[in-house]
Order: sequence, then C-alpha cells, then structure tokens
Amino acid sequence: MNKKNKWLAPLAVALSISALLGACASPAPTTSAESITIYSGRNEELISDLLTTFTEETSIEIQVRYGDSAELAAQILEEGQNIRADVYFGQDAGALGALAKEGVTKTLPTDITDLVATEYKSVDGQWVGVSGRGRVFVYDPAKVEKAPSSYKDLMDPSWKGRIGIAPTNASFQAFITAIRVLEGEQAAIDFLAAMKENGVLFEKNSIIMQAVQDGVVDAGLVNHYYWWELAAEIGEENMIPEIAWFDDGDIGNLVNVAGVAVLSDNPSAMVFAKWLLGDTAQKYFVERTREYSLTGIPEVAGLKPLKDIEAPAIDLSDLDSLAETLELIRKAGLL
Amino acid sequence: MAVSAVLLSLIPFGYLLVRVFGAGFESFVELVVDPRTLELLVSSLLLAIAVSLSAMVIGTFQAWIAVRSNLPGRKVFAVLAALPLAIPSYVAAYSWVAVIPGFSGFFAAWLLLTVGTAPLVYLSVSAALARFDSATEEVASSLGAGKFAVLRKVTWPNIKGATVSGGLLSALYVLSDFGAVSIVRYDTFTRAIYNAYRASFDRNLAATLALILVAVTILVLVVESKSRGNKPIGTVIANRLNRVDLFPWKIPLFALLAGIASVGLVIPMASLTRWSIIGLPETNWPEVFEALFSSIYLSVSGGMLTAMLAVAVALIVVRFKTRFGFLLERSVWLTHATPGIVVALSLVFFSNQVAPGIYQTLLLVLIAYVALFLPNALSAISTPLRQSPVSLDEVSASLGLTKLQTLRRVVLPIAGPGIFAATTLVILTVLKELPATLLLRPTGVETLATRLWTETGVAAFSTAAPYALLLVLLAGIPAWLLNRAIRKDLEPINDLERV
Repeated sequence: MNKKNKWLAPLAVALSISALLGACASPAPTTSAESITIYSGRNEELISDLLTTFTEETSIEIQVRYGDSAELAAQILEEGQNIRADVYFGQDAGALGALAKEGVTKTLPTDITDLVATEYKSVDGQWVGVSGRGRVFVYDPAKVEKAPSSYKDLMDPSWKGRIGIAPTNASFQAFITAIRVLEGEQAAIDFLAAMKENGVLFEKNSIIMQAVQDGVVDAGLVNHYYWWELAAEIGEENMIPEIAWFDDGDIGNLVNVAGVAVLSDNPSAMVFAKWLLGDTAQKYFVERTREYSLTGIPEVAGLKPLKDIEAPAIDLSDLDSLAETLELIRKAGLL
Repeated sequence: MAVSAVLLSLIPFGYLLVRVFGAGFESFVELVVDPRTLELLVSSLLLAIAVSLSAMVIGTFQAWIAVRSNLPGRKVFAVLAALPLAIPSYVAAYSWVAVIPGFSGFFAAWLLLTVGTAPLVYLSVSAALARFDSATEEVASSLGAGKFAVLRKVTWPNIKGATVSGGLLSALYVLSDFGAVSIVRYDTFTRAIYNAYRASFDRNLAATLALILVAVTILVLVVESKSRGNKPIGTVIANRLNRVDLFPWKIPLFALLAGIASVGLVIPMASLTRWSIIGLPETNWPEVFEALFSSIYLSVSGGMLTAMLAVAVALIVVRFKTRFGFLLERSVWLTHATPGIVVALSLVFFSNQVAPGIYQTLLLVLIAYVALFLPNALSAISTPLRQSPVSLDEVSASLGLTKLQTLRRVVLPIAGPGIFAATTLVILTVLKELPATLLLRPTGVETLATRLWTETGVAAFSTAAPYALLLVLLAGIPAWLLNRAIRKDLEPINDLERV
C-alpha cells in the first residue's frame, strides 16, 4: 500500500488540477456566427434529424438543450442578462408569446414572417409558427363506447381514473390557457379540479399513447401526431388507440403551432428561423413528424386536413398568459 | 484551500436563503401553510417512513443471515445484498416500468426504494454484528434461553443502534430521491420542486419548496445524530462468532433471500439486458460513447477534486484541532442535508445572478459535486487520519523534517486507504447523480444518466436500455472496489470460520 501511495497522491493532484483547468477553459456556448445554441421544447426524438440536416446544408453547427417548452422559457427569463440561447424552439404559441411579452425576443424580418399566414404568428413579429398540430382525443374503442363530443364531457365522474393527461406538457398547458381566455378563469379551475379526479398524470404525450396501447388508461388527451409516432414504432395495424376530434369549435380541438423566437444578434439564428420555413423543413414536418405545414405543403394521407378542422376561435397570440395558467395547474395539484 | 472548499459547499444553502427571504417573508409563509405543501409533506414522509421500516427489516435480516447463520450460499447472498448500491434508483424504476407498463404509485415507489436502500442497513448492521462477541449469547443459551429468546434479548439490543442509523440513512435517501419517484409517478417534495422549477415562471416557488425540504431533512439528521449516541458494545472485531443452525427454516429463508435478490437485482438486470438486445441494431454508438466518456470524465474529475479538498479540510479538522476547524466540519454537514435537486437549483440561481461567467460550464457542475459529496469524502478520510497518532508527527519533526515533508511522508501514507475510499465513493455517487448534472451541465454535454433520463421520457425502452446497462456496469467498478475494501475490514471473521 505504501509503495502505491507514492505515485497515487501526486497523480491524483495532477489529474484533478488538469481536470479543473479543462473545466474552466471549456468555452461558453456559442458566440461565433457559425454556431448556434437552441433551447428546444420540442422532443429530441422528433427533431434531431432535422437539425442534423440543417447543419449539413448550411454548415452552421448546432448545440441543443432539450426540455419542456415552459421550463426552457422560464430558464431564459431566469438567465436574464445572461441568456445562453440564440434560438428558442417551443412547441406552443403560449410559451413563445410569454417570452415576447417579457421583451427578450428579437423582431423577425418580414422575409421570414411573410411566409406564414397571420393566424400562425405573433402580431408584432416576435415569433413565428413553423408547424401546426391539433389537440385530439385518443381512446381504446374496446373500453370507450362513444368518443365525447366536448372536452367538458370528460369532467363527468364516470371518467374517474381513465384519462391520461400530461400537465407538464406545453400543449396541455396551451389548451388550459385557451379555456381560461375563452370561457374564463372559473371554467379552467373547474376543469382542472375534475382532471385531478379523473386524470392519470404522465410526463409526456408519447407515454400517454403507450399507456392507451398497453391498456393502462382508457383514453388520453394528446397532439394528433403522437398517434403516428407510435404507429411508426409498432406498425399501424397493431395500433389499439383511435383518434377522435371533438365537436366543431370545441376548445378540445385547439390548433396550436410549434414555433421559433430569436433571442440573440447572432445572424445564424435568423438563418435557422428562415430555414425552418423552407421546403426541406416543411416536408420533414409533414412526412416525418406528421404535423401540418404552415407554408402550404399538403398533409399526409389519412390525416384530417388543416383547413377542415373546426378549431375554437382564438388568436394564438392570446395564449401568452402562460404564467397564470401554470399557477392554476399547480394550485389544482396537477404539477 | 480548506476554507474555500467549505465556502464552495456552502454556496447552495446560503444562496437559497438569500433567494427565498429576499422575495419577502409573506410569500414564504403563504406557501408553508398552503394545503398542497402539507399534502406533499405527508406523502414524502409517509414514503420515507414506510421505506425505512421495511429496509430496516430486510437489511437486518440479510446481515444476520450473512454473518451469523449457517444458511448455504450465505456468502453469495452477502455480496448480492450489497450490490443494489450500484443500481441508481431511477434505473431500477425504469427497468421495472419496462417490464410492467403500469408500475406506478406508492407501492411501486416503496418497493423500489426499499430494495434500493436496504443495503445501507445491511452494511451498517453487518459491521455491528461482526463486532459483537458471541460469548454473551452462549451464556444466555446456557442459562436456558431458546434461540428466539437469545435473538430478542441479547442479539437485538446490540445491533439496534446500527439498524436504526441505517434506517435513517434510508429515510434521508428517500427524502432526496428524485428520479425513481418521478418515473413511477409518486408525488413527493423533490418531484414538486422539479415541477415548480420547470413549469412555473415564478422560480421563487421552487426555491421556497426546496427550503422546506431542507428543514425536514435537517430534522431527520438531528434525530440520526441523537440515535448515534448508543454505540455497539465492542469496538474491535469479535473473538468468536457462532453460527446459528437454521435447520427447519433453511428452505423458506433461502427462498425469501432469493426473492429479495430478484426484486433488487435479477429483474432490473434481466429487463435492461433484454431491452438492450432488442435495441442493439438501432443503438446510436457515437452518442453512447460520448455519454460514456462524459460520465467517466465528470465522475473521475469530480471524485478526485472532492477527495483532494476533503483531505485539506480533514487535515485542518483532525491535525490542527481548533475551534475554527470544528466549525468548518460542522458547516459542511449542512449541505449534506440538501438534496441534489436543491443544490442544483440554487447554483442555477447563484451563477446567473452572481457569477454569470460560470453558468452552464463544467466548473459549475464540479462545484455542485463538491457541495454535494464533500461530507461523504470527509467522513471516509477523517477516520484513518484520526488513527494516525499525532506523536508520529512529533517524531518526524524531531528528526528534522519540515511540516510539508511530514505531511507527505508520514500523514498521507497512513491516510492513503481513506483517500482511496473517499475518491472511489465520490466517483460512484457522481456516476449515479442525476438532478445536478441535468440542470447544470453545459448545453450539449450528455452523460449516461442524463441520456437515460431524456430517453425514458420518450418511453422508448430499447433506446434507453443501453445507457442504463452501461451505467450499472460502470458503477459496478467503484462499488466492487469499495465492497472489497469493506470486506478486507471484516477479514478476521473469515479466519474465525476456518478455526
């Protein structure tokens, strides 16, 4: 043991000092024009291939930090003067709007915002939607006789412990914001209270899909494309869950966007925002993630076309009161 | 150096106080009396109590079988009983969910954390049993006491202290556990803190919840230090260890131990292996190796840095016994009461407000490791340092050696095994560490643990399994080294058996 220690101690000191120096010298993320840092509320599984393609086409390197849309938005606000992201890629207009409201976003040039119809972008050019998604009801037809006609039907005690929901997920939060904005605070409080009773909490939409497939829950509230994500994994013929839309105009049919906001003066950030609205990216959203293109590329066969969805009448910019929604969800004991 | 190490480890707790009370006392009080807070407190404590009780029963039972019975295969069981330490609780949770999709709630959390923390009790009780001479038991049975009476009246009182302190360690673990309860969806304080952090624009909320949790944990620690008062009878290895003949119970006890081992080890490992094989063709090897490299790099540098700082603190505390040194050691333990998620959170706040340059750098991650694990390293190093008599220093000084030479040639060699143990221990804990690494790492840096965490979110078991399997195998190395060091300590027992 004695002999060993002679070299062990100095070695340890040398190694730890070099490790420490290495740590100190590690560069602060991205200031160079040829590299951008993205905070992505979108799932790695869904978009990492797209980001790789971007780097191949533009030789702009990307560093990504994945998380929930709300988490990363809050993190950007916490960072304050020390924002480390060049681009925020959120999966909900509400989180994007909340950032714009706090004044941390840069105004996008019109050659980017003009690519998208008015209803899918910020009124003053602070963020732009890049893909569309619908909220849907998925259910196991063996256990649910008739899909409900309104989201409010799910408040009935007969649904106790049967519906999978993901309260940490941005799309669920946007749905609650929509209830708050269109039907008032109390309607949202009542719905959340019912969900505390009837809902089964999951971390993510994809896990809800799996849970319906495995028979853990009877039904769930998810975004439409998660059905295709699971189908791609296990084969469409093996899918137990079915998709249903609520009645026309029901808030349960909220159509939301995933979108980007630029947070720094790094020119590559704007390049990225524009690239997401180009054909390569838009086709990727349609074919790979089965979302809706916002620049007019037709949706995949089998998916209800965007123009046929009778979404509730809400301006996506009005979803920016995310902070209040989160407070309600937390008070309901769902977070 | 020692002072700066202690200051480093105090940053999280200190900044948490600043943050919470800087936001105003009213909002703090408002949250403390919130019924939701109470609900979380009850569910956390309920789990902590249930888990520590069952861990105490299982761990004590395993230790008694391993040290004091003649059950066939007890040596194998002795190793199996300690091994779950190498499996991070969130890995175990994940592997169970991969077998039973709906595995969730109180029972799931209880089961996972019980088998995960029983080794803490097992190790503590084994050591106590090994130091307790059988002579007293023989006297008791010669006076006509039956096997069970001996067990209850003689053996139990002597290991009670070890059992209770192991149980409290288990309770502390439950209070700070974040990954497992999240995966099995059981609502506890740590999960609420993380959720408040990620799904609330008001981050003071997370900070306040964190402070409440720290207060609860400190309470548990106080109870622990009180219970540590009654020491086991002997301080040396026992002279004689009798083995109790289990004859009519051999088969059921054997089955019971095998059952515990399968819950804690066999099922998780089988599940991970199965999903790794399924996922093999689609495994993204560059990503796996990158994560493997980051894990090794972070844990080794974290382990060495922490051990080095711990040596500095220990030298001051043990060698130069001053009031200041005592204060240093005590204050380090304050951070020990702070769960990983809280340390991470307060360092995010701290770096953004006070030291923006180190936010999202590896340096900050290392600071978190030092803050979290300095106490563990310190306790591993202090014991051997205390055993090296101060008179040796005096002798070496009288022979003309300078203080530094004495340190290098006399003190450090004696402390060598302790330093080695401390480094290995921290490497093991850093490898398994999740919340601090998750929140503080530089963008783009992924370790096996963070990869696993994000992949389980996607519910694609086949992609996540290779990370989990590698993590367990990697953690097995320091765990094995530590286990070997502990076994060396108990070697005289094996010699006794041969007699």
